Amino acid sequence: MKLALLSCVSILALTAASPARAEDAANEPLVIGATAPLTSVKMKGVDGSELAIADVAGPKGTLVIFSCNACPYAKAWEARIVKIGNTSPKRGVGVIVINPNDPARVAEDGYEVMQRRADQRGMRYPYVVDATSEVARAFGATRTPEAFLFDRDGRLVYHGAVDDNTKEAEVKARYLAQALNSVIAGKKIAMAETKSIGCSIKFRKKA
Amino acid sequence: MLRPIALTACLILIAASDSRKDLVRGDASAAQARVKPAATAEVRPATVEQILAAVREPGSKSVLVNVWATWCVPCREEFPDLLRLRNTYRVRGLKLVLVSADLDDQLDDTKRFLARQRVDFVTYLKQGDDMRFIQTMDRRWSGALPATFLYDDQRRLRYFREGRTSYAVLEKELRKILIPNKPSKEDAS
Repeated sequence: MKLALLSCVSILALTAASPARAEDAANEPLVIGATAPLTSVKMKGVDGSELAIADVAGPKGTLVIFSCNACPYAKAWEARIVKIGNTSPKRGVGVIVINPNDPARVAEDGYEVMQRRADQRGMRYPYVVDATSEVARAFGATRTPEAFLFDRDGRLVYHGAVDDNTKEAEVKARYLAQALNSVIAGKKIAMAETKSIGCSIKFRKKA
Repeated sequence: MLRPIALTACLILIAASDSRKDLVRGDASAAQARVKPAATAEVRPATVEQILAAVREPGSKSVLVNVWATWCVPCREEFPDLLRLRNTYRVRGLKLVLVSADLDDQLDDTKRFLARQRVDFVTYLKQGDDMRFIQTMDRRWSGALPATFLYDDQRRLRYFREGRTSYAVLEKELRKILIPNKPSKEDAS
């Protein structure tokens, strides 16, 4: 029975997904120096308010992170993201964390779970829903977690990972924290692009 | 058009599996045989260098590397296709190298998943720095899972895909390597 159900889920997933393969793909990622796209698109936050990236922009920069509730990698980095998210606005960098995943594909990425998680983890920055996944597509984001840091002029100065290890005790290079220090100081960022393994974004189908 | 047909087929399949379950109900040994995993896969911790050493090992005409994780939905979706491809083309020289990117504390989940999929060959658990792993495998890879790499007999990377792929696509690419002078099934049709 379970096997039959699993087979059916797979068959239905295949028949549903096959005509829409191209929609699953992300765009090319933003290049260093690019400006943020779709900054005026309002997204619903866990407190019920509607916020756009432009609304959170700080005097020294803006940090946009694509993350979610369900991905073990997002969970592994969550405490570090919360720390950076809670402290950066006081240092002049606005923060917004965006969940682009389709909860129809991963139930744990639903809005209510986001609200609970934000509350339990003490997120004091906007954690918002990219209700069409279009913001993530426009950024060329592919995975969670994935960070994009813009300077005071709105130019992308850092794109990539939070740091170099899912295990906090074994971190050797704090890429994002270092990039934040540089952008706040108005200095050039030493390592502007980094990568980490992450969960592929479960994009919503295009309308 | 396809979905109603698939849905109907599924309902029939579920009904059939339910009635078959009724037939074997009460036969404990048969039930155990059905749920008992048939295979135990070895999951070997490996750095990117060790993965590439496994790729370079002689004895196969093509090597397919797939980086996956138990929690990754598209990875789980494509997994049976990878195994079917291996089953079909192993005798013609295909080697499948499965690399789990599960975190170390998910090793039991990894082993359970592999057993359920009846994987009975050596697989790997990614170790080491993510960025080095990703960039060494291929600079086009962003780090999202799954990621698939197909090498030819000279171990040149002939196909790379980030995100879910399919049996048909992999077979087409593989046949270009295994049968370079003949058109693939898709090309011929």
